[in-house]
This record gives sequence, C-alpha cells and structure tokens, in this order.
Amino acid sequence: MARLISQSDWATPMIVAVSLGVLISLFNPAFLSTFNIQVLLEAVSINVLIALSQMVIIAIGQMNLSVGALGGLAAVIFAGLMEVFGLPPIVAGALALGVGLAGGFLNGLLIGLTGISAFVITLATLSIFKGLNLAITQAQPFYEIPDAVKHFGNATLFGPFPIIFVPAALIVVLLVVFFNRLPVGRWLLAVGGNAHSAELSGISTAKTVVIAHAISGFLAACAGVLLVARLQLGQPTIGDDWLIMSFAAPIIGGAILAGGHVSTVATVFGVLIVAQITQALVLFHIDPFFVQVVLGLMILAAVSVNQWRELRMQRAGQE
Amino acid sequence: MSLVTSDARKPVRGPELMRLLLTNEFGLLLLIVVFGALFYSVSSGFLSSFNLNSMSRAAAINVMIGFSMMAVIATGGLSLAVGAIGVCSAMVCGWLLQEIGLPWPYALVAAIATGAALGAINGMIEVKTRLHSFIVTLATMSLFFGIMIFLTQAQTYRGIPASFVSFGRMKVMGLSATLGPTLVVAVALIVLYNFTRVGKEMLAAGAKPQAAMLSGVRVGRMIVLAHAISGGLAAIAALLLVARNGAAIPSMAGQQGQDWLLIAFLGPVLGGAVLTGGKISVVGAFLGAVLVTVLSNGLLLMQIGDFWLQATLGATLLLAVLLDLARRKFLERRAQ
Repeated sequence: MARLISQSDWATPMIVAVSLGVLISLFNPAFLSTFNIQVLLEAVSINVLIALSQMVIIAIGQMNLSVGALGGLAAVIFAGLMEVFGLPPIVAGALALGVGLAGGFLNGLLIGLTGISAFVITLATLSIFKGLNLAITQAQPFYEIPDAVKHFGNATLFGPFPIIFVPAALIVVLLVVFFNRLPVGRWLLAVGGNAHSAELSGISTAKTVVIAHAISGFLAACAGVLLVARLQLGQPTIGDDWLIMSFAAPIIGGAILAGGHVSTVATVFGVLIVAQITQALVLFHIDPFFVQVVLGLMILAAVSVNQWRELRMQRAGQE
Repeated sequence: MSLVTSDARKPVRGPELMRLLLTNEFGLLLLIVVFGALFYSVSSGFLSSFNLNSMSRAAAINVMIGFSMMAVIATGGLSLAVGAIGVCSAMVCGWLLQEIGLPWPYALVAAIATGAALGAINGMIEVKTRLHSFIVTLATMSLFFGIMIFLTQAQTYRGIPASFVSFGRMKVMGLSATLGPTLVVAVALIVLYNFTRVGKEMLAAGAKPQAAMLSGVRVGRMIVLAHAISGGLAAIAALLLVARNGAAIPSMAGQQGQDWLLIAFLGPVLGGAVLTGGKISVVGAFLGAVLVTVLSNGLLLMQIGDFWLQATLGATLLLAVLLDLARRKFLERRAQ
C-alpha cells in the first residue's frame, strides 16, 4: 500500500490537496459548509476541463495558447444560437462543441502538416478565434439563456454536488481510460516522449498531433458551454483568463512539460489545490488580485520541484 | 518573410541590385507600398495629415513592442511577460510623477530601469532553473502584473506633466515625434547585433548554445542580458503609450498585458527572425511592425469593424509563417 502511494503519480498532489483542505478548515470552519463545498465543486468542474484541455497538449510536448479563445468562442456560439436563432439547448450545445472540435482540429492540422511550432500557430489562431468571438458578439453579452440551461448550471444533484460535476467527472473517467487503456492515448504519450522513435515504431506523428488538438478543442468548448450555464450569461470575455489556470493545474499535478508524461488524476488534484487556495484567499478576505500572484508563484514552485525530481530520477537511473 | 522568394542565408547569384531586390526587407517595403496605395485608392483620408500622424504614432509603439520580443528571440527564447513588464514600468513612472513628484526625465529613467530589472529577473530564473522561457514568463507575467495591480489598487495615474504629454502629440515633418526614440533604438540595436562583441555573442548563444559555450561565450549571462534588454524596450514602448494617452493605465495592454503578445511576435516573425534563435533582422522587424500598423489602420479606415481586425492580424501571422515555410521548401528543392 505504502509502495503504491509512493509510486503513483497522483499521490503527492492528493496528499497536498487533502492537507490543504484540512489546514484551511482548521483556520476557518466555514470552509466545510455545504454552500462553500458547492461553490468549490462548481469551480473545480469547469476548471478541470480547462486544465485537461491543456494537459492533452502537454502530453504531446506542445502548448496551446488558444484554449481560452476557443472555449470563449464556443461559449458565445452556444449562447448566441439559443438567443438569436432560438435553437434548443441540446442542439446549440452540440454545435458549440462541434466548433470547439473543429477549431482544435484546425490547430492540429496546421501544426501536424507544417511542423511549425505550436506556439506560433496557436498564437495566430488565438487571435482568429477571439476576433470571431468579438465580431459575433460586438463585445456585448448574450443575456437570453433558457431557464433549463440556467438550472443545469446552478442546481445541485444531491447535497453539495452540482449537476455540472457529472459531465466533468465523466470526462475525467474517459480521459483516464483514454491515456491508460487505449492505443491512441499511448500514441500521444509516445509522441510526447520522443517523436522520432514514435515515428519509427509506426505511429503517425501528424495524425497524433491532430487527434490531441481536436480533443483539446473539444474540452475547451465543454468548459465554455458549462461556464455559460453557470454564469447564466454568454459573455464575450469568457476564456480571457484561462491561460495561467490551464497550465497551473497540470504542472502542479506534476506534468512534465517536455511531454510524454501526464496524469489525468494528478491534474484533477492540481485543479483542487488551486481552487482551494483561491477559495481560502476569499474566505480570509485577502485581496482577490493576489490570486494571480499566488498562481504565478505556485507554477514556479511546482516546475522547480518537477525539474528536481526528474534530475534525481535521471541520476538514480544512471547509477 | 515575404512574398519574394529569397533567402538571406543563401547567397543569391546575380548583380548587386538583384540581390537587394530579393531580400526579405525589400519584400516588406514593397508590401507596405502596395497596401498603402491600395488603402489610399479606397479612401483618400489614408494619407491625410491626421491619419499619418496617428499611424506613425501607432507604428512607433508597435515597432518597439516587436523589438522587445526580438531581443529574447535572438537567444532562442520567448517572453510572454513583455506586456506585463511594460505596464508595470509605466505604472512606476506614473507613480513617481504623480505621487512622488519627480521631474519626468528621472521618472523615465527609473521606469526603463524597472523594465530592465524585471526582464533580468526572468532571465535569471530561466538560467538558474533551466526551465523553458515560456513557462518562466508565463509565471512571472501573472506575478508582475498581480503585484502591480495589488500595489496600485488598479488605479490610473493621470498626473503626467504637460511637457511629456505634448511630446506624445508633437509632429515632425507630418509624422509623430514618438518615432524619434524608436528610430534611435533601431539604430542602437543594429549596432549592437552587427558591430559589437556582446551582440554577436548573444546571437551565437541563441544559434548553438553548446558551441557558443565551448568557444567561450557565457551563455547564461547572455540570456539574462537579452531578457534585460527586452524588459527595457518593453518599458520604452509602454512610456510611448503613456505619452500618447496622457495617463498610466493598468489595463493599457489588456488582461496581464496579453494584448501585446500578437503584435510582439508579428513584427520580428514577419521580419524573418528564426524562433529557435540566432537569426534576427532589426530592419525586418521594424518594417514588419510598420506593415502591421498600415494594415490595421487601413482596415479600420475601410470600416471593416474593430472586431474583425484581430482575426485579420491573426490570419496574417498564420499566412506569414506558412509563406515562409513554402519559401524555404522551394529553396531546398531548388538547391537539390
């Protein structure tokens, strides 16, 4: 048992997340109130999708700057289709997720076929997606969200468990299966670990890159759609502040940025750590602006620890 | 990077003039003239004295933002924090002017020093931790910006002296006087990268760090220096923006300064900089940023709407890198 804990990827972030929760609730018992747990789970449900959207790309050793822009575009398309064309939420949601999938597919195609760095391609598509978003909305929010959607985004299933927790949990399970059980998932990690040897063993790098980016786009769109339901508003600014969040959680969960090594469960705990700290700052009446500073510091600390661990593992491997 | 199929790295056979016409820089110049003529034919207001002034003022700032990113690209890195550093420096300047009452030349120097110091912090973290500059500057972007917002409580400093603001509005031969500092910096950078040992060592550190280290270049120091230069230039860009707006505003580069990111990469990348480091063109980055400014200004005059502009600029970057790829493939095939 002890061996299992010390060897699994997610044990350390889990211990940190749990002790953090205990620590905060010792200082402020209100942390464990039903309402607070509900708010926490709502934030986690959406942020986990944002983080996984980036994690899939980190797995192949790349980065995706357009996560927020694509999620935001899907969000306003979801809200706009319901308000302007009166489409039923299911249809509008499916189309919005389709846009996310297509946008990610486009990213993957451009990177996979040309071999140009993911940074530059997604910086360019970031502006294209954001520009489309602003052109559609004229920077004005869509307010007419059907009651069913509002209910979906804010009601709880039982106790403090919000309904939006269900799709998020489902996606987490699917991704765990994807990376651990499906050949495609292993392709992603193989390409991230060493693209050249992956290619030599018969994996198409270009195809894998396209698949990863399509999944990333789809997950970003999921986050955007859920956020519209939760905010009860199709805001054009959705996604603007996702960049840091999307990297922070996978990195805190121990993802190695060079690619080839990610853990879905560890990323979930990464999201939980970030959400708890954000919540604690609010509970202790600390300036909300400070959240950014803390996130920045946490990223630096986490990457340093990961780097150090990797070096130690390398050294252990040499001996 | 341009429509003209040439590559500065490979010798082009033919007379001198032909060689000049086939350079990347000439291609950019040609595009600027073509688009300028196009916009002028659609709307004569394009070359009005009012528009020339505002366009040159925007160009002065855009070029400087591009230079700031180029300094880091030279060593093979990148910086997400240019916008955050710029805004932080501008806020320091605003605070010194309004709250401390320092004479403005001192405040300017202090602001540029702040930018350089913040850049140097990025460089030192990068060198010490051996992390990629992307992740370092992603973290420091939110750190710097968060601390600045925390300290200023997101308030705007409007107590900017009239003499400083009037510089932002001054015209020389129909163009904005703010182009002056930009041109001075451009010349200084040309000298740095082409004629000084330090500049050449910086490029060498970017091109082949291992080889550079073996031949005695202190690569770590060069990376810190490149980031410091980048920070200083970001500060100058932000100060030009302060002179234009007449105030130091925390949101002047958007959320965490991210609005500068696209323009910061467009100039150098259009100008032919290689993102893996070692090759940049100061003149190219200058012309690249001017081209982007002409495009933005012209498209706005044609009333395509503010919001389509961002999508167009993104598409421009995409087109530019794809064309560059096609050009290199073409040259490779011809070489075989």
